[in-house]
Amino acid sequence: MRRWIANLPGRLFLLLMLGGFGLIASASLEYFDFGTLPGFMIEKLPLRFESLWLFSLRAHVASALLTFPLCIVLMTRFLQRRPALHRVLGRITGIAILLVLVPSGAVLALNAKGGALVSAGFLLSGAIVGGFMVRGVLAARRRDLVTHRHAMRHVFAQMSVAVSSRVLMILLDRFGMHPELAYVIALWGPVVASALVVELPTLHRVVVRLLAAPHRRPALSRFEPLKGTPS
Amino acid sequence: MKALRWSYLGAFALASVPSLASADEPFIWAKNRVDEVIVKPVSARERGGSFSRGRPPPRQSRIRITQASESRDTSNRAFVSFAIDVRWGGSEWNKDDVVGCVYRESGKVFVKIGDGYRPAAILLGKDVEPVAGVCVAAPPPARS
Repeated sequence: MRRWIANLPGRLFLLLMLGGFGLIASASLEYFDFGTLPGFMIEKLPLRFESLWLFSLRAHVASALLTFPLCIVLMTRFLQRRPALHRVLGRITGIAILLVLVPSGAVLALNAKGGALVSAGFLLSGAIVGGFMVRGVLAARRRDLVTHRHAMRHVFAQMSVAVSSRVLMILLDRFGMHPELAYVIALWGPVVASALVVELPTLHRVVVRLLAAPHRRPALSRFEPLKGTPS
Repeated sequence: MKALRWSYLGAFALASVPSLASADEPFIWAKNRVDEVIVKPVSARERGGSFSRGRPPPRQSRIRITQASESRDTSNRAFVSFAIDVRWGGSEWNKDDVVGCVYRESGKVFVKIGDGYRPAAILLGKDVEPVAGVCVAAPPPARS
């Protein structure tokens, strides 16, 4: 029972992500109506490389619609207890993320509304996803499951920004914040917070170690001169 | 008493001036056309709401005619320029969110995207190319 309660926040988070995925998927359908320009693109016009941008948007959305639910499933204990299936789905997800999601996201980031600050936020998020995906795959290949889990949590946390960022944008709009400022906050806030949440156990360990440091201080510090020796 | 009656009449006449002025507001046809072609359909499209990274729909919008008199393009067609300002929540008006021109005879509306003018249908997702020569006033005829 205690274990079930302990796992409850994680399960709730996965359910929220699943709900967010459903909303994003329904909002993304307009990107695949090849007869009309999506509203998200119209507000960005004029674009220097219109066709490349639209192709990248469609590739990014399609790969996200495939990999995001796969990430949710891969984070469940159900699939983690089935290594063969976990491996196959993990490979599909890893390939789609590294070959499509991250590169297309980088193209879109260069034209992000909100200027260099927003571009930097998207590029940072993409770098975390790409970097930790490579690290996680390499760790899995050498059966280092601790590193693999830590790396994949970073990947999933950054993918979850897609949902948390949109929720934050809606909330900030309700408070009457100007959309340009809201866009910056709703991007950087979740990107940084997601990375911190994954590093929370590590940060906690560091803080505990620092707080415990004075008690563990050795009797003889290397900065203190030895008694009887010239200082 | 007669003077008082005349002053009442005068006050009544003055009070009715603003309503007469709004009815005769210049380019009301242009504002109506922009409202019909851009503001209403775009806000109806945005009202659907979506869980996307797109800009949230503005709370208010207003149409301004940005010139005092009609212009004529190189094809001698009369047009006036307009701007749409938008506002979110309690923030200031964002001026010139959309700028363009509306033609008097045809009722065609164009919006400025980059350096060119495209039919207003682009704001509703129609992939249309810039139209050359529209919304640009022809130079005045040279004096001999």
